Amino acid sequence: MTLTIVSLLPTLQNTNGDAENAAVLAARARWAGLDARVVPVEDAADLPGRVDAVVLGSGSDSSLERSREILLGLHDELRRWGTEGVPILAVGTGWELLSWGIELADGRSVEGLGIMAGRAVPREGRVAGDLVVKASGGLGLLVGFENHARDYVGAEASPVGRVQAGSGNGRGSGQEGVRMGDVIGTHLHGPVLAKNPRLADAMLARACERAGLEYTPGERTHEVDRFAEAARTLQLRAAGVAASADA
Amino acid sequence: MKYAPAILVGRLTRIAARLRKPGGGSAVPGLVVNTIAPGYLRTTLSGFPRGLVVVTGSSGKSTTTKMLVAILRAHGEAVFTNPSTANISQGLTSALLEQADWRGRVPGDVAVLEMDEGHGARVMEGVDARVVTLTNVMVDQIDRFHDSEMVAGMLAKIASRAHGSVVVNADDAYLERIAGGLGDGVAVRRFGVSPTVLAASPRGLGHTETSPERLDPAAGVVVASVDGASAVLADGGRDVAIGLPARGTHYAVDAAAAYSTARAVLGEQFDPEVAARALSAIPAVFGRGERVTVRGQEVDFVLVQNPASYQLNVDSIAPGTDRILFAIGSDVRDPSYFWPTDASSLGRVSIVSGSKADEAALMLAYDGVEIDRVEHDLGRALDDFLAAPAPTSGVKTIVFSADAMRRTRTHLGLTEAV
Repeated sequence: MTLTIVSLLPTLQNTNGDAENAAVLAARARWAGLDARVVPVEDAADLPGRVDAVVLGSGSDSSLERSREILLGLHDELRRWGTEGVPILAVGTGWELLSWGIELADGRSVEGLGIMAGRAVPREGRVAGDLVVKASGGLGLLVGFENHARDYVGAEASPVGRVQAGSGNGRGSGQEGVRMGDVIGTHLHGPVLAKNPRLADAMLARACERAGLEYTPGERTHEVDRFAEAARTLQLRAAGVAASADA
Repeated sequence: MKYAPAILVGRLTRIAARLRKPGGGSAVPGLVVNTIAPGYLRTTLSGFPRGLVVVTGSSGKSTTTKMLVAILRAHGEAVFTNPSTANISQGLTSALLEQADWRGRVPGDVAVLEMDEGHGARVMEGVDARVVTLTNVMVDQIDRFHDSEMVAGMLAKIASRAHGSVVVNADDAYLERIAGGLGDGVAVRRFGVSPTVLAASPRGLGHTETSPERLDPAAGVVVASVDGASAVLADGGRDVAIGLPARGTHYAVDAAAAYSTARAVLGEQFDPEVAARALSAIPAVFGRGERVTVRGQEVDFVLVQNPASYQLNVDSIAPGTDRILFAIGSDVRDPSYFWPTDASSLGRVSIVSGSKADEAALMLAYDGVEIDRVEHDLGRALDDFLAAPAPTSGVKTIVFSADAMRRTRTHLGLTEAV
């Protein structure tokens, strides 16, 4: 059987290369000796019959309405995946669109799909830089970049973790992201799964478990993860976070 | 006379800066003059008798500016221009000071300035341009710009300063929208590529959004064909054959931009043959697909500045080239936006280096590229790479970001061709 990784709206929602996380999952599955494919889903008509994992990236604010329209056509599936335990990674505005809603700086608001708790609210000025999060659930330190003009409130009960460096959800929460079962929303953009192999493998292990497959990282995975480890170490040093916090 | 004291202070600052850092240019004199005489930049830019021409956009502005200056000079125009490293306010003022007499006057009938898309809108406040040329909107430096909307907004502001013409790349949907929103009385000139040229670039030309239709040759200057380092521009029924500074469709597009802009500046005086000769005589630009001999070895240098140029340049490296050095420096702070590119055609890279070596290696590895070695010290990487035997296939190729290029040049003692 073939693991099917869905990349949701890869054209509209790929500002920082977040959609490439689907390819990261597929590559790691192949290195583990499994069959895997990435299916780009630009609208409901592209949906494959079986879905094992979902990645939704971040887009620009000008595409919020268009992306929302398309996601509304997938509302039932998103809700079902969420309750059935299909691992979902949603980044930046992709995450915001799955929340209760987005309040824009000009006073308008965009209604979210209500898949995840909380809402996005304007922050004073854009934040761009390193983001390091001490994640719960055995995921260790999540290392990456953030670049957003909104904070996130209402995730206080179920964040991904505590901020070690950077802004994260903001508003003095000291928290980053929201995690509801196997659905994760985060400001960590770009190749977050390549930079954070533990998170990638947690998603893959969950997908395999549902599919009745065994997931054991392959030889190539260990080689490539050494590059990730080196990149993480440098970024942690730059962000002033001790690598020993990575427990 | 008004600016004489400020000019004097600027000059003294320049001498002081040169004493501290021999041979180096500096933005400090510009900073000083901008502070004590805030009107100087604006007044001087507005004071050229045949006006100011501004070239801006995400990429291609350096080459386009260089080409445009060459065409105008070949027509006998006295042109003031800025070096591409001085395309923000302090740098521009410093560049003006280099040429200014003691009263601050700068020689030249027409000024052609390359302007940074981020800083240009501010520099241009209160300055009128005769012609503004917009090259393209591409995803570049996410840290600074976040998204294409923001870049397009800044370009629209710069374009609104034009009172004569705005020259746009018709293949860029963002620029076409900017052209559509310009005031009456401003002429719009267009350049673009033919359907054949676009079809020959299977990944497109790197625009964030490509226009649905190609430019009609009757409505502007069209790159009709590209063959290696030569191209044909279709200009109102006339085919103009030109040579390019290096292989690559983007150079042909830059040439079309410069050609259209020169037409806008010179009007009746413009001569297609003079323009073609000037374009063909432009020497290769360092790091832009140039082949040089270093330590007795032929090496291709390839500069990557944004995802679009990265993809085009990686695609142009002959498959099977088995000696590649890949160096990404600190100028790429967050490499995330490079991830949608595909470097799988490289197959194998000998050394990955630069301060972002690990991030680069990670990205290449997920593209399925084999990496023989990661060496953080760029100097050692270069020495070892050049000392290795000549490749069995292709030419040794060094792919680098702008910062890694500067360090490479310094390390190898190479100077930029002008």
